[in-house]
Amino acid sequence: MAVQLSLVWFACKNLKRRRLRTLLTLGGIAMAIGAFVALVGFSRSFEHEWLRIYESGGTDIAVVQKTFLNTSVDESGVAKLTALSTVARATPMIFNMMDLTPEINALVYGWKADSFEFDALTMKSGRRFRDGQPELILGDLLASNLNKTVGDTLTIEGSSFKITGVFHGGSALETGAAILPLDQLQQLSSLQGKATAFHVRLRPVPARESPEHYLQTAQAQIEAALPGLRAVPAAERASSNQLVVMAHAVAWGTSSIALLMGILGIANTMAMSVFERTREIGILRALGWKRWRILLLIEFEATALAFVGGIFGIALGWGALHVLSTLPQTATIVSADFPPMLFLESLGVALLVGLAAGAIPACRGARLSPVEALRHD
Amino acid sequence: MTNPILEVRDLQKSYDQGQIEALRGVSLSILAGEYVAISGPSGSGKSTLLQLLGGLDVPTRGQVLFRNSILGSSIGLDTYRSQHVGFIFQAFHLMPTLRAIENVQVPMLGVAASAKDRAAHAEALLCEMGLEHRMSQYPNQLSAGERQRVAIARALANNPAILLADEPTGNLDSVNSARIMEMLTGIQSKRGMTLIVVTHENEIANSAPRHIRIRDGRIESDGRSSHASERPRA
Repeated sequence: MAVQLSLVWFACKNLKRRRLRTLLTLGGIAMAIGAFVALVGFSRSFEHEWLRIYESGGTDIAVVQKTFLNTSVDESGVAKLTALSTVARATPMIFNMMDLTPEINALVYGWKADSFEFDALTMKSGRRFRDGQPELILGDLLASNLNKTVGDTLTIEGSSFKITGVFHGGSALETGAAILPLDQLQQLSSLQGKATAFHVRLRPVPARESPEHYLQTAQAQIEAALPGLRAVPAAERASSNQLVVMAHAVAWGTSSIALLMGILGIANTMAMSVFERTREIGILRALGWKRWRILLLIEFEATALAFVGGIFGIALGWGALHVLSTLPQTATIVSADFPPMLFLESLGVALLVGLAAGAIPACRGARLSPVEALRHD
Repeated sequence: MTNPILEVRDLQKSYDQGQIEALRGVSLSILAGEYVAISGPSGSGKSTLLQLLGGLDVPTRGQVLFRNSILGSSIGLDTYRSQHVGFIFQAFHLMPTLRAIENVQVPMLGVAASAKDRAAHAEALLCEMGLEHRMSQYPNQLSAGERQRVAIARALANNPAILLADEPTGNLDSVNSARIMEMLTGIQSKRGMTLIVVTHENEIANSAPRHIRIRDGRIESDGRSSHASERPRA
């Protein structure tokens, strides 16, 4: 059967013509998309783990300061919360990021010994801590990273704490965390009587009331009872958490720079290619190719580069997330899960990068006059 | 052969803001199915005239009419080039990344036909050019004569009414030149196409049924040969 020519095949042959340049461009775009996948995947994973903390602990609402001040909520407000008709249980808590050793940085929580959030934890060994005692429990991942077990002592910022238990948590953030009695963490941080938030578990939704309406009623009740504080649904709290917001901002900011470099790489390749093929473009115009077909050919070449580079980049980014999920420093906040949405989003970004990068060279090629292009050396 | 397929009215073309006048008021009429040779010294304007006849460029003044439609206004230049004109260049201008059969399919990519039909048509054209064993070769694997035959097949891809050849034998030896001209005139007479050849070779120009001489951007002479039925020889 005779060899058939299509626009796609023609574009692919043009890319094959300068193999080294095509490969280098593919490498550049793969790095850019890889960085995007790894960074955005990292921040999404971080958000997801936060959400799992609330979900597994049975927290429906987090009550936090309206301002950006952390750990400035008056602990005594918990009594007003438990008196509300919609609230089943409420507990004050602190969370902080602390250096446990020069190498290991982990989330440290301050909980009351009777907090309902213990329901989500499985004690693998030992027991819970007691309020008022210099004791703590460790997530199994953190215990393994610190090489500590029940009965050992852990020194945090000059104070010694006895490890009374090792637990497995519902979230990677918890399995890599340490939990202390609330009063001990307040003392350690010189924040007596203060909390980061109240975690609230609501009573079951009454019959004939929608869960959304019930949640809104509870939020209104809480905010009326505790002026100056904000009642945030758990899902929203996970995404609006300052650490998560910061992680998202850093991820998008850094990957935008990487993507810009990728765009410049492809644009440079395509501009060079159009310049070198000026006469060929003139021939195509002489053979009756319309401007839009020339534009389509060049845009297709740019997008094909970005697509193939994007596939390699996604594999690269996925690999990076896998590595991060196994490293002691990052395993607590990164899971190896790769949501299909991130794959589609990354591929979409890669295609947009290709289209953007090809636009100017394609317009330049399409605007060439056939006679001038044929004269080009 | 009575209807004019191309008419040129007071055609002028200047470059560099009028400092260089390539054509200075050329008027002529070419009949459908006619074979015309255009000759003249270098810089006389013969290639510029061919470019304007082929819709590759637009005149500074004057008009080119294809079947009574003004090029660039009544009929789009892209449409004219893709559907009604086939170009043959001195330097062949084949796509180096494509095989011979793929090169012939290039003009057909904009035509509403299936890929299979395009390929079959390209195959038939290459067979007609005697290149049935060279279809899968790349241009750099073909001889100069073979390349020009591929270029002729490409020019015929969309079955144009007019074939425009700019120095088609300029890069060929005498044997291949004769063969190419024989092929072109054979195609012209067999298909009833209009063939316009720009050449600086007197033998080719004089053997054409109609020979237009251009000098300094004007028509110096426009005559019909007494041996119009003879095939030209290089």
